[in-house]
Amino acid sequence: MAFEYAPLIALFPLASFVIALAFGKYLPKGGALVGMIATAGSLLLSIWATIRVAGGEIYNETLYTWVAGVGDGAITLTFGILLDPLSTMMLIIVSLIAFLVHMFSMGYMNDDGQTGLPRYYAGLGLFTFSMLSFVLADNLLMAFMFFELVGLCSFLLIGFWFREDAPPSGAKKAFLVTRFGDYFFLIGTVGILATFGTAQFAGEGSFPQLAQEAIVGGETMFGFPAETWVTILGLLVLGGVIGKSAQFPLHTWLPDAMEGPTPVSALIHAATMVAAGVFLVARMFGFYALSPTALGIIAFTGGFTALFAATMGVVKDDIKQVLAYSTISQYGYMMLGLGVAGYVAATFHLMTHAFFKALLFLGAGAVIIAMHHEQNMWNMGGLKDKMPVTYWTFLAGSLALAGILPFSGFWSKDEILYDALIVGLNEPIILAAYAMGLLAVFFTGFYTFRMVLLTFHGEPRSDHAEHPVPLGWNMKIPLVVLGILATVAGFINMVPVAEITGADIEFLGSWLDSGPEETAYTTYTAIAAEFAGFEAAELSPLLPAVVALAIALAGAGAAVFLYRGPEPEEHTNKLGGAKDVLVANYYQDEYQVWLAEGLTQRTARAADTFDQGVVDGVVNGAGSVSLFGSGRIRRLQTGVVTNYAALITISLVVLLVAFGIYGGWF
Amino acid sequence: MLDLMPTQLLVPVEWYLVLSAGVFCIGLFGVLTRKNALMFLISVELMLNAANINFVAFSLLWGNLTGQTFALFVMALAAAEVAVGIGIILVLYRNFRGVDVTEATTMRW
Repeated sequence: MAFEYAPLIALFPLASFVIALAFGKYLPKGGALVGMIATAGSLLLSIWATIRVAGGEIYNETLYTWVAGVGDGAITLTFGILLDPLSTMMLIIVSLIAFLVHMFSMGYMNDDGQTGLPRYYAGLGLFTFSMLSFVLADNLLMAFMFFELVGLCSFLLIGFWFREDAPPSGAKKAFLVTRFGDYFFLIGTVGILATFGTAQFAGEGSFPQLAQEAIVGGETMFGFPAETWVTILGLLVLGGVIGKSAQFPLHTWLPDAMEGPTPVSALIHAATMVAAGVFLVARMFGFYALSPTALGIIAFTGGFTALFAATMGVVKDDIKQVLAYSTISQYGYMMLGLGVAGYVAATFHLMTHAFFKALLFLGAGAVIIAMHHEQNMWNMGGLKDKMPVTYWTFLAGSLALAGILPFSGFWSKDEILYDALIVGLNEPIILAAYAMGLLAVFFTGFYTFRMVLLTFHGEPRSDHAEHPVPLGWNMKIPLVVLGILATVAGFINMVPVAEITGADIEFLGSWLDSGPEETAYTTYTAIAAEFAGFEAAELSPLLPAVVALAIALAGAGAAVFLYRGPEPEEHTNKLGGAKDVLVANYYQDEYQVWLAEGLTQRTARAADTFDQGVVDGVVNGAGSVSLFGSGRIRRLQTGVVTNYAALITISLVVLLVAFGIYGGWF
Repeated sequence: MLDLMPTQLLVPVEWYLVLSAGVFCIGLFGVLTRKNALMFLISVELMLNAANINFVAFSLLWGNLTGQTFALFVMALAAAEVAVGIGIILVLYRNFRGVDVTEATTMRW
């Protein structure tokens, strides 16, 4: 028995979507249990598939052909499934987080007396289905379709409380901003199909392989050298990645997406929507590794976004906003890792981040429920003793986020920075990206512990903080599970420890190196070294790790120093003008609104005027000319027979005379 | 069957053509100038018979009976036409209280 049941991984949540939508109001808990059963089924099947992949089997099958190309060079469009080390790892993450989010939602939504639960759980089911299908996809077009579905689901869930003002606005913004990036992704997908005739990720004749052969063969594509053309295609697809993974400058949707229910934020930020972008780059890394320009742009965008978002997180007062900017920042690290060909490091961070960010969001959700939907950290404080489970798990997640030894985030973030550094020693632009990433570590430590201290330490600063609502088991279990994972997940790839002891304990690295050769980690590294010229400098991972840890501790220590004590004061005002810039998010929204209203809308108006005036003018003009003309000509029809007879006679005479003159009768 | 030769014409054929053209023009003049529907019918009869003169004259000229046969057909046709025309004129009179063709213009735009 091979992988016949693999499609069920995605189909279980689809079934829960249908059931919750159709029968949700008759089901207990509004369909939450169905969703839990479905995601648990997906999780079990994913684990089973992982075991099989670990046994050396790879599943790369086309299941359904929906456009069969006929003839030479015709393009066949298919749906298929690719199960390899990367996708099975992601499947486990997605289905596990989705399962825990379903469970947590019972506490967050059901016990809070929310209405519209069937719609909520249907949305979660569809979201999980879309993301799992995206991960399973064996070709770029299928991935694009589910990429779009993921965007749709996030729209539906962010705007879940559609009767208020902010959620629909945030949902629309998320939809439109990511759609802007997806526009380039679509062009890139069509370009890849048109260039290579296939969009398969792996296997014989996959497009990364064809691209590699074309570059080696020095071919010319669409008038460009193959290398340039591959870079162009890679950058077009990257547009979708930047939109979905909230990289600068398309990150603006993500903070507004905080208007959705908090479990949805956990799902979006940890495992689905935002992860989709980074996962896509990892999925087609064999393609990106061919282009040093694309890699450089990925690395620089990532490094810049990591720092840029981290600085904004420092001044936020809303606990979810802090987490939102930390998400943008952490995905920046992943992009930095991918951009320096640190495939394992980025994937590793994708995984650890999924655990600790889901944990932090669920922890924030628990706090928000306990505080009667209060999100301002200045109204919290002192929750440490009243919510011990939430506090300790949240602390574990925060330590992981800040990158403190030995929590998971330290290992993965450190590996990314190490990979960036060893490449950066030979490439100055990468070194700049590394410097930004390293600086962001300080801010990460700072805003994380500012958040922890303001929320949980000190004296309670409001009535709700003194008497928080007790939490049910359905919220505590996910927190505990994720708390454990956020603590220990880093142990699967401890590069500095492996360096010291010499033991072979880089499990994730060897896991991603198993499977077929063309998608193996070492192959990617070799491609990046050969085509992009990314030569790793010889350097022990110990010193960079110590430096990164010291900076993280400095950031965390600064936050503890400033915000310790029973009544912490606001220190952000000391930043002066810089605070205004940071609170206004570097005026990113303003200039994007200006782009939309000042530029795009005016262009659209002008185009509309042109359309209404010139294009429609020509069409309507033709109509009115013939209408006016026929209005005059119809007066010939007098209805008087004599006039007709006279006309006929005159015409006949004219004809005769004309024939006479031209026929030569005279 | 008559065995008429072209040379047996007493009057040259051109005169028949002139006569025919004259009769046709009289008929045309009637159609173009009169308003009375009955005068229309009479004028149309004149134009048809102008054609008949041509048929008969050339039939005689070429010694061929087809033209005369056609002339008979045209007469039968003219009789039928008159029958239909009179009917139309009667209806015209009933609807418009007169036979003035310039009055009956309700079918135009």
